[in-house]
Amino acid sequence: MLRSIASAPSFTRAYATKLAKWPRPKPGTAERPAYHAPDPLLNNPKAVVTELPDEDLTFIHRPPPTAPSPFSLTTNPVSPLLRPRPPQAEMPLPPPSRTPSKELPRASGQTMSEIRRLRALDPERYTCGVLARKFNVTRGFVQAIAALKKSQRKSKKRAQELVHQQARDKWSEKKTTLMMIKTKRRELW
Amino acid sequence: MVYGRKRLVASAVKNLTAISASHLPKFPPSQATKSPKATNFDAEAWAAIQPPPPSALSAFAHRIGLGAVLTDTDVILQACTHPSAQYLAKQQDPNAPPLATNAHLGVLGNALMGLFATEYVHASYPYLPTRVLKAAVTAHVGPLTCSNVAQEMGAASLLRWHRQPPAPTGSYQAPLQRSDALASIPRSLTALVYQTRSLPSARQFVHSYFLSREVDIRSMIKFVDPKKALKEMVQKFQREPPKSRLLKETGRFSNSPIFVVGIYSGNDQIGEGFGASLRMAEYRAAEDALLRVYLTRTPPEQLQLPTSTFPLGVGDVFRDAPEGMYVPPSLEQAEIMYASGGNSGAVAQSSITA
Repeated sequence: MLRSIASAPSFTRAYATKLAKWPRPKPGTAERPAYHAPDPLLNNPKAVVTELPDEDLTFIHRPPPTAPSPFSLTTNPVSPLLRPRPPQAEMPLPPPSRTPSKELPRASGQTMSEIRRLRALDPERYTCGVLARKFNVTRGFVQAIAALKKSQRKSKKRAQELVHQQARDKWSEKKTTLMMIKTKRRELW
Repeated sequence: MVYGRKRLVASAVKNLTAISASHLPKFPPSQATKSPKATNFDAEAWAAIQPPPPSALSAFAHRIGLGAVLTDTDVILQACTHPSAQYLAKQQDPNAPPLATNAHLGVLGNALMGLFATEYVHASYPYLPTRVLKAAVTAHVGPLTCSNVAQEMGAASLLRWHRQPPAPTGSYQAPLQRSDALASIPRSLTALVYQTRSLPSARQFVHSYFLSREVDIRSMIKFVDPKKALKEMVQKFQREPPKSRLLKETGRFSNSPIFVVGIYSGNDQIGEGFGASLRMAEYRAAEDALLRVYLTRTPPEQLQLPTSTFPLGVGDVFRDAPEGMYVPPSLEQAEIMYASGGNSGAVAQSSITA
């Protein structure tokens, strides 16, 4: 039975709840104006200018912006770590890539000994996270100053691996595939 | 010819190796002509233990440039005989004297090759971590490389060995492979050059056949946490702790963003990396910073090897003779103790070795 095009289902609606056009730009997306890249020919800090006034020539070498070069010689190393340290003048630097987390106050010796005592007392109850929140330090700090014995760490790791495996068994096939893709992508960093 | 008969003949001749018989004292062997039930003769085993003709051995020595060094073909034959061939010789004639094999030569040659390769890689890459140094040495003079070089030299047809099954002891013993047997040949040759000439000559042999080969060291360096490793390295060099800064970005909220991140120690950029996410770019920047230090190499014309202190000329290197010229470089301490104890407290000296 042939159905006419007019009676075919369409996706138009009278109301427009999910197809809101405003506000613009959509919240959660870039709210900045369009990005116009700066002209690399002007004011390039990495440009090396060589002038030959006799021939009235000017050579300007502008290396590509992303050219990590592990090719380095001991006589002319590429890494500034292997060169003598230049005097550190005040100069404008690019912004940090991620906003740094709030710096926590330095823990006193008393706090550190208290953390160690509690952790040794009952590792199951006083976990690194619990102690970190209690004493206003980071979890990594607690792990560094109050590390468990290797045997305890191994048994804890084994127990956690079991819990993780149980969670992984509940995943659907699609989820498993996506997680494997994610892992592979992380391997290729 | 009927197909079935053709296939039978083809399979029968598949495993036979043609051997040159003109130099053999007695051919065909007496056991071959008698009844097989009486003599229990295995033609393949007999053929495997027969030595190659002296002309082939001499040609091999000249082909690899050691015609003047290895003049005795018996010595060359010994270098090409793996200890496993002893089994075959005993099978043929239990009362014969033991076969001259390359067991001792192989061990000596292996030690010499390890020495030359280690000093070369260490002198070329003074900042390389120890594990990577070991991997590079294996790539240059390891068993697989030695077997490849032996095949390139054309020693595969001269090799005498036997694929003996491992003894049924309690622990697992890997079975002998043809590449292991082949690898013993270049090692024995190195030992022979050392014995007949000198250590500098043996070094020259190893340099021309093994250390001139291209080895990709970049692929041997893998990081679990490069940011942590870089933090420790920067601390060792007594610089400001590393900080990653965004150099360029595009498409931040799209499905294909690109971020270019530079990692800075104070005002100096020590590494740069790009990525599809900020974390990926930072990871790559830290990797780049570490590789810029690890892969710093000495210019080949300025390479100084410790074995050049040995006197030149034929003879024992420990004899009383004038030493060779050698300027020792400063030992770099950039190797970090990441993921290990690391309580040495040693501090790196960031000086350029000119």
